[in-house]
Amino acid sequence: MRKTYQSIDDFLSDSSFKEWVLEGKHHDKWYEWTLSKDESTELMQSARLYLLAMQIREKEVQKEDIQEALGHTWEKIHKQDRTNQQGYLVRVLKLSTVKKMAAILLVGMCLFWVYQQQTTLQSKYLGYDELVSQQNGGLIEQANNTNKPQLITLSDGSSILLQPNSKLSYPNFFTGKERKVYLLGEAFFEISKNPEKPFWVFANEVVTKVIGTSFRIKAYKDNENVDVVVRTGKVSISSNTKIQPANQSVLLLPNQSVRFQRKDLAFDPIVAINTNKPEDINDLTTIEKLNFEFIDVPVSQIFERLKQAYLVEIDYPQEKLKDCYLTTSLSDQPLPEKLKIICESLGGNTKYEMNGNQITIYSNGCN
Amino acid sequence: MALDISDETLWKSLREGNEWAFSSLFERYFCSMVNYGSSLMSHSNQVQDCVQDVFVDIWLYRQSLQDKVVVKAYLLSSVRKRIARLYEREHIFRQTASVDGLDFLLEFSIEEQLIHDEITASKVNHLNKLLNMLPARQKEALYLRYHQGLTVEQIAEALDINYQSANNLIYRGLQHLRTAWSGDLALLFLVLSRFI
Repeated sequence: MRKTYQSIDDFLSDSSFKEWVLEGKHHDKWYEWTLSKDESTELMQSARLYLLAMQIREKEVQKEDIQEALGHTWEKIHKQDRTNQQGYLVRVLKLSTVKKMAAILLVGMCLFWVYQQQTTLQSKYLGYDELVSQQNGGLIEQANNTNKPQLITLSDGSSILLQPNSKLSYPNFFTGKERKVYLLGEAFFEISKNPEKPFWVFANEVVTKVIGTSFRIKAYKDNENVDVVVRTGKVSISSNTKIQPANQSVLLLPNQSVRFQRKDLAFDPIVAINTNKPEDINDLTTIEKLNFEFIDVPVSQIFERLKQAYLVEIDYPQEKLKDCYLTTSLSDQPLPEKLKIICESLGGNTKYEMNGNQITIYSNGCN
Repeated sequence: MALDISDETLWKSLREGNEWAFSSLFERYFCSMVNYGSSLMSHSNQVQDCVQDVFVDIWLYRQSLQDKVVVKAYLLSSVRKRIARLYEREHIFRQTASVDGLDFLLEFSIEEQLIHDEITASKVNHLNKLLNMLPARQKEALYLRYHQGLTVEQIAEALDINYQSANNLIYRGLQHLRTAWSGDLALLFLVLSRFI
């Protein structure tokens, strides 16, 4: 509502007024107005009639139709992108010989420079191969060479989403007083809580220690830095004592991130992630953008969210669960625990089974 | 999930190449754009195509997009330009009288469920007829102002006219109705005041 209304336009362009006339909202406020302000009531009355006489019958567009249209649009974009690139190649081929020679020389020089950088990088830094080879074997290595994140479930119930072009080495079972894994590339970790057995991630020169929480590490071989982003819980991060005996460490809280400069072996200041800033959202992976707070939501929708987040298949008795609604918070658990909570909330006979990417829910319906 | 993030933020991310921001804006404005498009062209498949093409261009030329735009106004005016270009190409509207070959096709309708007495009903009916008799451009301006919620500046940009002309389209429309109607006005309000 504004303070003064001097023309019909003032009323017609006011969303509160529109909602009152068309949907009966804010009734008290506007009813009071009809009683008190004599000089503008006349305007208001005619504005009301205008609104009633000025409706538009709009076509409803279904959600599925929007998604379908979005899919078509991406297809068109990829097609056009390809033709544009071809056009670019043709232009390059048409360049004069001198320009071609110059281009080749330039590319060669760049390659040489990159090669030199590479060789210096390798001698000075601590990498995945070195870290893994120092263990006495017994590790399983999973490499993600696809273009989608891959789900890994560990023996302690923790779940990890391994990003493309990344590798993780971990033991079949965690023995002893620590849980240790080795990462090359990028992964999102959701660690099951166990204060007696801290969880360690070794990634390049950076060591991350947690008790139970979710966070993401980005440590590719050729990157100049290592990034750690924390979603829930507390995470302690330090440089590896093997490369820096007097190591430094930082403590990260939820929605904070820190960058480790590999060249200087030093941490940048801690940064708070602001979900209103586009550059901050840009950097997040899908699972970090999804909301896992559910208030009276059909359980089918919760399963959909999990499918989207972890790229798994979930098979469940749709008919039996169709009237089941849940209110629950699933932001702070690894996938197996999330499934357990859902099963327990649904009632006595609900169970889940997990086989790689395939999850099956058995249920006789909810309480 | 994108509900809380402002248009400006999504727009900025989109320009930086964020596919998720692109999809969010698509989902947010697809309906409005299709509805506006349908008011200018009756083939619904072609309207859908036009809206998709607007988004294709936005993504492909994202680096040359302007920084500060009112996203909704920009999208609606892009739909309009696209349809105008389509008509130009197909030479469908060779004989048309309107400025750029586009006529606003929608009719205003009456919200009958909200009218409970005959006097209001007959007044609203009368007003609705007058509204639908307005020139297409004035109707389009009223639609953009009150249905799509654009400001006068944004309407001027969407219709590719100057501010004063856009202002005229809207207020001349309203003014015309008021004079055509003023005869009944005094009586009307006397009666109406009992029903509200």
